[in-house]
Amino acid sequence: MRERLESLRIDALRRVGEATGVEDLRAVEKDFLGKEGAVAEILGLIPTLAPMERREAGQGANQLKTTLLEAIAAAKAALEEAEVAAQRDAGGFDPTLQAAAAKRGGLHPITQVRRDVESIFTSMGYEILDGPEVELDYYNFQALNIPVDHPSREMQDTFYCDEDHTLVMRTQTSPVQIRAMERMTPPFRVIVPGRVFRNEEQDATHEHTFHQIEGLVVGEGIQVGHLTWTLKRFLNELFGRELEVRLRPGYFPFVEPGFELDVRCPFCETGCRVCSGSTWVEFCGCGLVHPNVLAAGFGEREDVDHEKLTGFAFGFGLDRLVMLRFGIDDIRNLMGGDLRFLEQFPC
Amino acid sequence: MLISTQWLARHVDLEGISPEELASELTLKTAEVEGLERFAEHLDQVVVGHVESRIAHPDADKLAICTVNVGKEEPLQIVCGAPNVDAGQNVAVAQVGTVLPGNFKIKKAKIRGVESRGMICSVRELELGEDHDGIWVLPEGLSAGESVSSALGLVDWVIEIDNKSLTHRPDLWGHRGIAAEVAAIFGRELKPLETSLPATGSGAGVEVSIEDPACTRYMGLCVDNVRVEASPQWLQLLLLAVGQRPLDLLVDISNFVMLDLGQPNHLFDLAELSAGVKVRMAVDGEEITTLDEEVRGLSPQDLLICSGNTPVALAGVMGGGASKVAEGTTSLLLEVASFDATTIRRTATRVGLRTESSARFEKSLDPCLVPKAAAHLVRTLQSIQPEVSLPAPATDVGDWSDPALTVELSGDRVRELLGVDLDDEDIISKLSALGFCIERDGTMMKVAVPSHRATKDITRAEDLVEEVGRLYGYDQIPGKRLIAEVAPPAKDARQLLVRKIQDRLAGGACFSEALCYSFQPDELLERLGVADEPRVRVVNPVAEGESSVRRSVVPSLLGRIELNRRHRDEVRLFEVGKGYLPEHTDERGQPREVHEAGLVLAARRDKSAAYNAGSRSRLQGVIEDLLRALGAYDSAPLTWRVAGEDDSIPGWANPGRSQVLVCGEGEDQRALCFLADLDPGRARPLGLVEELSSDVAAAWISLDVILSLPKASSSYRPLPKFPGAKVDVALALPLDVSCAGAEFELQRSGKGLVASMELFDVYEGTNVASGQRSLAWHLVLEAKDRTLDEGDVQKFLGRVERAAERLGGALRRES
Repeated sequence: MRERLESLRIDALRRVGEATGVEDLRAVEKDFLGKEGAVAEILGLIPTLAPMERREAGQGANQLKTTLLEAIAAAKAALEEAEVAAQRDAGGFDPTLQAAAAKRGGLHPITQVRRDVESIFTSMGYEILDGPEVELDYYNFQALNIPVDHPSREMQDTFYCDEDHTLVMRTQTSPVQIRAMERMTPPFRVIVPGRVFRNEEQDATHEHTFHQIEGLVVGEGIQVGHLTWTLKRFLNELFGRELEVRLRPGYFPFVEPGFELDVRCPFCETGCRVCSGSTWVEFCGCGLVHPNVLAAGFGEREDVDHEKLTGFAFGFGLDRLVMLRFGIDDIRNLMGGDLRFLEQFPC
Repeated sequence: MLISTQWLARHVDLEGISPEELASELTLKTAEVEGLERFAEHLDQVVVGHVESRIAHPDADKLAICTVNVGKEEPLQIVCGAPNVDAGQNVAVAQVGTVLPGNFKIKKAKIRGVESRGMICSVRELELGEDHDGIWVLPEGLSAGESVSSALGLVDWVIEIDNKSLTHRPDLWGHRGIAAEVAAIFGRELKPLETSLPATGSGAGVEVSIEDPACTRYMGLCVDNVRVEASPQWLQLLLLAVGQRPLDLLVDISNFVMLDLGQPNHLFDLAELSAGVKVRMAVDGEEITTLDEEVRGLSPQDLLICSGNTPVALAGVMGGGASKVAEGTTSLLLEVASFDATTIRRTATRVGLRTESSARFEKSLDPCLVPKAAAHLVRTLQSIQPEVSLPAPATDVGDWSDPALTVELSGDRVRELLGVDLDDEDIISKLSALGFCIERDGTMMKVAVPSHRATKDITRAEDLVEEVGRLYGYDQIPGKRLIAEVAPPAKDARQLLVRKIQDRLAGGACFSEALCYSFQPDELLERLGVADEPRVRVVNPVAEGESSVRRSVVPSLLGRIELNRRHRDEVRLFEVGKGYLPEHTDERGQPREVHEAGLVLAARRDKSAAYNAGSRSRLQGVIEDLLRALGAYDSAPLTWRVAGEDDSIPGWANPGRSQVLVCGEGEDQRALCFLADLDPGRARPLGLVEELSSDVAAAWISLDVILSLPKASSSYRPLPKFPGAKVDVALALPLDVSCAGAEFELQRSGKGLVASMELFDVYEGTNVASGQRSLAWHLVLEAKDRTLDEGDVQKFLGRVERAAERLGGALRRES
């Protein structure tokens, strides 16, 4: 019996040693340790043996089982390690082979910059408002101190939606100033992002459809200095650096006094293409809200005494900010819907 | 508008003020300067030459050989073809190396064998006028060799001012108005201007009758002994500097007065107005031929100047062809008038003729300027032709009133709005510098606004605050912190929704956000079969056929597929935007606004792809994921159904492959989303054929409907405590049983045990009866209170089998 066990042991260990895969090891386990394996067979013979031999055979078989299990486990570990090692050094490695392309999607660059602007203003406590793009002449012009036949209507090439000109494609986001005054209670601070329309010939720098951000602050004691301070803080935040601003006269019928606000060119120190060499970039039209506009907006409100109120308003173009940020040279790309353009701004 | 510094200097001393400083101060205090340029800078290079001798060219009849002293040791020999060149003249010489306008470089040349070292220039060659009949003969007494610009004192700078920033300032449409600003800014005196008419004879003046109040004032003045000749050089040069072509003295002096004082005026041949002047509205169908020789049809809103009843000018806009003053004329009628701004603006716009004159009248000119301009013209004319006389007093008629007014202002209001520490004295001195007269009345100031500032611009205290502020310097006003209540700003649900949609689609779904025009071209709408839908239309579109304002963003996105498919196998675009429905217009006239997210997905056709690999199915997946992320499924039961006639399936959609996601029930049922395959008939019109042939699906999602859903409650479910059982189920079902219907039965058969259900196969063919299809799901069954065993699964399958049989199908057991 001892010989038999020894021969089984040698045989099994040889097969373990020769194993080239986990399957081989499983086969060894089955052949020797399985229900009908060699060890089981020996254990089955035990009752037929002499009592003296029984104990020896039992111990031998168990020992063989332990030895085999250990050998198989060790061989398995070695095989797995070899496999892992083989995987590590697979060879033929070329990281420049094109990656499996991930699908791309993204926000329009206008949306991206608009969100930046919105988050700066909301951090300063401004509410974001929306308004209709097809607007009543009343809101777009009349309530903004631009009566019918006012010469400043010439400044804005308006798309009219009907022959008697009661409905227009809004030429500015300013009509929402009036809509805000009609329902909000001062003091308040709002911005109004949105698309606006002017009947202009299109070229690389002119579009008939573009985007504006309107700002309106109404309260008691609002002064010119509040306007410059606010826009300076905004621009510093937007461009990430301290920038000087200046006011100069500008004419917009819905503000009095009215200004143009210039900002020191964020792109140069001594003059460049963006600022046409002047180091100043025209940023927006702004001013103190005209008393006629406050009267038009709050006039029907019994809870608001508009004579006590002052306010400031500003409006700037988003498209030019987008073009400056990304270096876009043709405004028409913005509305072109071409993926070769849109995919350049993943975000 | 162009302003010449030489011209300005006639009204205010500019000594010590550089042109750059002038431009910069005007920008900061008055109006935006858009450009600053030297006028005729090339005259710095052209020198005064003295013609010492002139002899005929031996080989050319029309050429002369001149010896010209240009201040150097050796005189230059120049061959000249001008008939008027002669010894003793001072002339303008462009020497070898000089570059004249048009990049014309003067070179040493041999002309018919004779060497020529330079060119004696004509006025036209120097871009100083039209005259090219001979060379420009300069005045006597100039020193040879000096540059022409310095010898003639021709150092002029041209300042270009943005017209838009002068919209509210009729007083700044002439040099004197700008000069008054310069005087105020730099603290200088405005030079006096004689504005009274010289003595007139006592003859009978012209008769003027005004038939319409749109003419507020009309002054007619007869002028005698006039000669039509070329203007003197100073006048020509001033006009040239501001871009006006000198013509003859009468045209030039009329322009000069307009550009000097901002008051348009007209000189008629008196003989043309023999029947007396009548100012009246045109009648329907009447026509006039204007000076530019165009025939203009008129309407009863256009004001005419007539001789008797014959139109001679379109009032305030342009003279008539017959009003030109003929050579040899000696008697003129000078017209200086005031017209209603709106009338002039409308006529100019309607006939498409915006002239220097109409641009000024439409700003509301001061009627008090009329006699001043008349006097200025006559006096300037007499300074050139002293024999000019006025045979009769001026006729000055009209129902005008002096617009001058008084505005009350308190110093506190100024300090309150500007936020600067100016005392009343400072305020008064600033306003006085700008021509306002102030009378103090306690703490109030009574500010007299002169007529030229009172027509439109200055009517209230805030307007005066602007005057003080700009002269003080807006750029000097310090910034001031805005102090306000600290509270989070209110957030608009719509804005948040837009953001979430954009993020989900651009992020996980990998769609690119496009922004498309609100106008949709008619030809695109026709190609998509949606041209018949009602649309808001602009009456003055950018281009023919682009007047339609969109109802939906989807057609715009569909219109972008072809362009993108040329470069991409797959196109995924979305836009969140607004559309307008004119058939739902509110009582104020505003069309209903709809807010939607439009999506298109176009991919290369792949017939072998799995049942759910098509564009519509994928788009449906994107939409369901989006709505899940928005919590829409938690707020209301949402169900897809086949779109029917009541759903107004748009022309671009395949009616057999259109589906609607509805929320609510019965009467309240609303479409939250519409999704469809592109109609196969639209592929060719959209250019999606051959290599661009595409599987296209498109959808819209209504933001308005999403916003109207009730607020979702939390959708959290505790994790199962007991492991579930996985089971795959395949049913063979008749084709008319929808997948949703089958899933409903599965749920019911589960008696609450079905925790999840995922369709993984759809199959028709071998082993499935014809008229049926096989649907297969991975299911997970879970119970809250125990671990499920094989018996539970078998019971479930038994119920499923009976349900399938009720539907006319069968449970497919693994064979």
